[in-house]
Amino acid sequence: MDLLLLILTVPFAFGVIMFLMPLHFKFLQTFHILLSVIVSSLLLCAVGKVVNKEVLSLFHDFIFLDSMGAIFLSLIAITGLLANVYATTYMKWELEGGHISLREVKNYFALSFIFTWTMSLSVLCNNIAFMWAAIEATTLASVFLVAVHNDKKSTESGYKYIVLCSIGLAFALYATILLYSAANGKIDGEAMLYTNLLANAASLDPMALKLVFIFALIGFGTKAGLAPTHTWLPDVHAEGPAPTSALLSGVLLKCAMLGLIRYYAVVANGVGFDFVETIMAVSGTLTLFVSAFFLIRQHNVKRMFAYHSIAHMGVIAFGLGVGGAIGLFAALFHCAAHSFTKALAFCSTGNIARIYGTKDMTKMGSMIRIAPLTAVLFGIAICSLVGVPGFAIFVSEFLIFKAAAIDGKFLLMGIFAVALAIIFIADFSHFFLASFGKVEGKVEHNGEMKLSENLPLIALAVLIVSFGIWQFDSFTFLLDQSVKTILKQ
Amino acid sequence: MATINLIDIIAVLMMGTSFAVFSLRQYRHSVLAYALQTLLLVAIFLALYDKYDSHELLVWSVTAFIIKVVCVPLYLLRLIKKLGVIVEDEPVGGFFISPVVALSFSLAVAMMFYKVFIHFSIFKDVLPLFAASFIFMMGIFGFILRTSFLKQILSYCLFENGIHLSLALMAYTSHELVEVGILTDAVFAVIIMSILAKRFYASYGSLNTSKAVNLRG
Repeated sequence: MDLLLLILTVPFAFGVIMFLMPLHFKFLQTFHILLSVIVSSLLLCAVGKVVNKEVLSLFHDFIFLDSMGAIFLSLIAITGLLANVYATTYMKWELEGGHISLREVKNYFALSFIFTWTMSLSVLCNNIAFMWAAIEATTLASVFLVAVHNDKKSTESGYKYIVLCSIGLAFALYATILLYSAANGKIDGEAMLYTNLLANAASLDPMALKLVFIFALIGFGTKAGLAPTHTWLPDVHAEGPAPTSALLSGVLLKCAMLGLIRYYAVVANGVGFDFVETIMAVSGTLTLFVSAFFLIRQHNVKRMFAYHSIAHMGVIAFGLGVGGAIGLFAALFHCAAHSFTKALAFCSTGNIARIYGTKDMTKMGSMIRIAPLTAVLFGIAICSLVGVPGFAIFVSEFLIFKAAAIDGKFLLMGIFAVALAIIFIADFSHFFLASFGKVEGKVEHNGEMKLSENLPLIALAVLIVSFGIWQFDSFTFLLDQSVKTILKQ
Repeated sequence: MATINLIDIIAVLMMGTSFAVFSLRQYRHSVLAYALQTLLLVAIFLALYDKYDSHELLVWSVTAFIIKVVCVPLYLLRLIKKLGVIVEDEPVGGFFISPVVALSFSLAVAMMFYKVFIHFSIFKDVLPLFAASFIFMMGIFGFILRTSFLKQILSYCLFENGIHLSLALMAYTSHELVEVGILTDAVFAVIIMSILAKRFYASYGSLNTSKAVNLRG
């Protein structure tokens, strides 16, 4: 059976199977991990084939996997797997605490497979309208992963999530229709296929492409969390369970960004790179400063990381704005670096909430004594988020500086440095507040989590450090190929 | 003598129904206005099919009739009955001001949009393209100006109809599966929003979304 066909059917089938499973936590936990491993293995097999320069496509190129898609598919596979494994531990605590019922846990596990399926579909679609439908489906599949509880806050977060993302994505659908009608009859082959549009971008009407990009930026930018349409993100990421936040921030935002990058490639090759780079630089700058402003005021650890997600989507946008081969490489690398880092950050908030019974950092303290491993993992996430050398995010941020310096974009370098400095100061003050000094509130779980419970977090920390100090040839190959595709070299 | 264009007439009627969906205070009436609007949308699909002999449009009209004229309104009417709500709460700016604001701004934005769309559209008539942008904007303003969760679901349905009409006018040659994908999303979005509306009503004792102020900062 075709590998892409398996990827398109197996996660969905697993979701349905999980819905039908008996209400027995130990069984559900083991089964969830097993099925997650199978799904991730399938995704990584497909990525491996792309690394080996195989061309994967299905249904007359309706579905395809290119090097850019392979980068994002690997994030779904790796970050998705580790967040799903952590979810089994987190849900055990929630169950023990009486915060959730066993049926809700089963539904959560089942929906996480449907969510993985929609994200994979969004990465694999060559048909731009279907890609839009898949990205919209990711919202629908994840609403009840966020609004797990029936209380006011949970319902409010679910409401804001679906309403704001649906409105935003409506503009992306208009971009899709406009792009199709601008290309239909003017290019060879099917005008809905991204590969055809990219190959024939130069023959498309430049005015139409400019409008298409603005609509796509509003649409996919809303879903990716770019300012000023980011307002849904802090509420949703802060209110959902920790593993959901890890999935949303670590993977989902990147899928929306991939949609935008595909439009970026088509429009840049149609009207020239200056236009898209200017727009992305403005969008990135706005996003960075808006998030930095709100980041300073945050005391809720999950809200703080939510604003971080916005900030780092701003970094990716900024990388696309700086442009050039190095800027694009950095933006794509940042997608992976931020995916691992934010998954670790949000998963560690799961541990922290268990220890203190609250997300308010002013009521924490002395974490290094109570749960040293969690404090170290939390510290690794913070270090990577602020771009400390030796951690993954430093690599991409350094490359963005380098790209700007090579192109003589010194104003952009200055803006980027100021924004990162604000984020750096805000983050470390929060980290010290939670990790050191006296406990200001109460401690509900006085001790470290079991090593087995921390394993997914340790794996993420290893990935963050590895990507910070090591160059993985296969991953670099995918990045290089993607940059060449965008630049049509 | 000028001939009367059937598609133009239906497009104007669609604009009228979108105003009705937005403005009517009784939920039941709003849903019925939406069903009528979608029936008119199906009529446009059939008229375009007759004009261009495009097989895709015939498939679209059948699926849109079953899903959007029959299933979605019935589902929403059931939801209204279950919740026991009849009239929506006073929206932002009151019952009179908000339709006037939505109408004026939607007309203004549609005036800008249609001129751009007509350049690239396969179908070159002004009125239907204008109507598509107008209906889309009425949906967007429904989200902004109406605070009732149910009215916001109907606003989603409205702008989805606007997009659907644009798709038929500008991209009716696209694959049938595209329409199926978009329609499936729309149906699931309505179902999920309805479940959330039920939860919202149970939590807040009202469908007024301006009460949802627990997550700020």
